[in-house]
Parts: sequence; C-alpha cells; structure tokens
Amino acid sequence: MVVYSFYIFDRHTECIYSKTWLPSFSSADPSPPAGGGGGTTLRASTADDAKLIFGTVFSLRNMVRKLGGDNDAFVSYRTAHYKLHFYETASSLRLVMLTDTATLSMRNVLHQIYINLWVEYVVKNPLSPVEHKGGAGVRNEMFEMGLDQFVRGLM
Amino acid sequence: MASSKASRLGEEYLERTRMDKVNAELVVLTYGTIVVQLCKDFDSDYVEVNKQLDKMGYNIGLRLIEDYLAKSNTVRRCSNFRETAEMIAKVGFKIFLNITPTITNWTSDGKQFSLVFDENPFADFVELPDDGRAQDELWYSNILCGVLRGALEMVQMQVEAHFVSDVLRGNDTTEMRISLIRYIDDELPPEDD
Repeated sequence: MVVYSFYIFDRHTECIYSKTWLPSFSSADPSPPAGGGGGTTLRASTADDAKLIFGTVFSLRNMVRKLGGDNDAFVSYRTAHYKLHFYETASSLRLVMLTDTATLSMRNVLHQIYINLWVEYVVKNPLSPVEHKGGAGVRNEMFEMGLDQFVRGLM
Repeated sequence: MASSKASRLGEEYLERTRMDKVNAELVVLTYGTIVVQLCKDFDSDYVEVNKQLDKMGYNIGLRLIEDYLAKSNTVRRCSNFRETAEMIAKVGFKIFLNITPTITNWTSDGKQFSLVFDENPFADFVELPDDGRAQDELWYSNILCGVLRGALEMVQMQVEAHFVSDVLRGNDTTEMRISLIRYIDDELPPEDD
C-alpha cells in the first residue's frame, strides 16, 4: 500500500493542512525513478491541487447525499492511477487521502487520524487557535510527527 | 427508543475508557475562582459576569465538541432536535460532568426544551454573596450555556441558551432553557474567477 498525499479542509472550506509522501528523490537514493526531468515536473502547485480536490469532494458529497439520502456518505473514488478517500466529521472537518488503487477502505484510518491526532494534538492544545486560518496551529511538531509515523506505519 | 440508545452510548463510553478523573473539589474550586475573579474584575456587575462566563463557555464549547465527537463514537448527525437534546443530556453531560440532566418542557414545535439539573458539580459548597443583588442577577453556572452554544454551533446548529432558575438563588430547581434558532448551512467554496 502506498499513501501519496493527505489534506485537511476546515468548515470554511479552506485547506488547512496538506502533506505528500512522494517516493524520495534524495541523493541517498541510488536509483531515482527513470524518465522525465527529475522531480520538478511532479507538482505544479499544491495550493491549486487542494482547491481542485475540495471542489471535487464537496460536489461528490452533495451529489451522493442527493441520490442516497442524508445518511449516505461519500467514501472514496478510484481512477486508473490513484484512489481518493474521504472522511467528514459532524463538525465539518474534511479529511482526504490519496493512495494507490489497490488500497482497501481508509475510512477507519482517517477516523483514527481525526480522534488520535487531530483532536489530541491540535484541538486540545490550549494555545492553538480555534480557527486555523492559513493552517495556523495545525503544523505543530506533535501532530506532524504523529501523522508521519502513523502513515509510514501503514505502508 | 432514541432515549435508551443515548443513555447506552453514555454508559458505554464510561465503561470502554478508563477515563482519567479529576478531583471534584478541584473543579469546584477552579470554577469558583474564575467566577470570583470575574466578580472582582467587573465590580460585581453580575450582568457582565454572566456575559463573560457565557463567552468563556462558548470558546470551550468550540473545542469540546471535537472531543465529544471523538469520544462518543457517534458516526452520524442527529436527525432532529429531540435527538440532539437526548445526546446532550445523556452522552455529553455524562461524559464530561458525569451527570444526566432531565429533559423536559418541550414546546410543541420541538424547537425549545429545558434541562433540569438535579445535581450540579460546579455548585457544590457554593453560596451566593449576600449583597442583595447576586441572588437576582448572577447565574453562577452560566458557563454551561456558552459551552452548549459553542459546541452546537460547530455542528451547524445555532441555539440560544440561558438559565431560568437556580437552586443557588433559592429556586426549587436548576433549569436551563435551550432554543434552536436555525440550522446553519454548509459553507461553500469561494467562486473561481
């Protein structure tokens, strides 16, 4: 299983956290992936990606609810190259994870990230702001380390 | 049916987690200190003290809801306001204060109800000051109104909450009135140019 990236969107639809776990291109890596001009062409702009992703999952979620009723939930979609997993809390926090196509449901994983990392390290930090404008308060060491360890543990 | 489900959820939570407990006297004294300090800071302007307590509660509620969602293991939204009331009383108050206030006095449109507190951990040992005003003006536990307002706002319900009676004032019961003002719509992403 491979996790490509992870995004958090708040109730104001802003992307307040994003992280990618792309294959390492560090000099220590003896065999960088062949083809292309190195890693530079990989990502044009993370911010644009985040906006596109939010627009997509938001529309899909609304469409799913319209067809399947209010208790239905949009869980994931799959393309030829990746699978996108979606989890939304009652407080309108949206967690999105991109993985390879063979990965099974990550709903539980996203739920765990919410209760064990988000609530513990971001919400319960009394000094972190309630609203995370521009990602303020999310990029703290405990949360980032916890998330990285947790996700690497899955791979 | 919904009611028994809610109380089961509350009980289950307490069993599942050997929850860390905090000494009750510490809570009483900490909360009391806050109220006393506010009374000093605002020169015993109790109306203002009520307001400040509500505001503090609101800020607590905004965060506490996330902890509630994480702990209570609820996966879906309440389908109506009655269910919300059950969850507040039997899961929320159970988890955080280990009390279960009674839900009564529904209006026929199902938008207003009362929580009656048979016990109130904040108010142990408390006697309101004998200055002739506190008994009429201070709502000692007003922080709870703010907590509910903040917490429910995060799950897209705008409510109004206030105390209507308090045993500390010599009333027979401690009663909080909660009214649903409206459900808040999802925020939409900004339009692209």
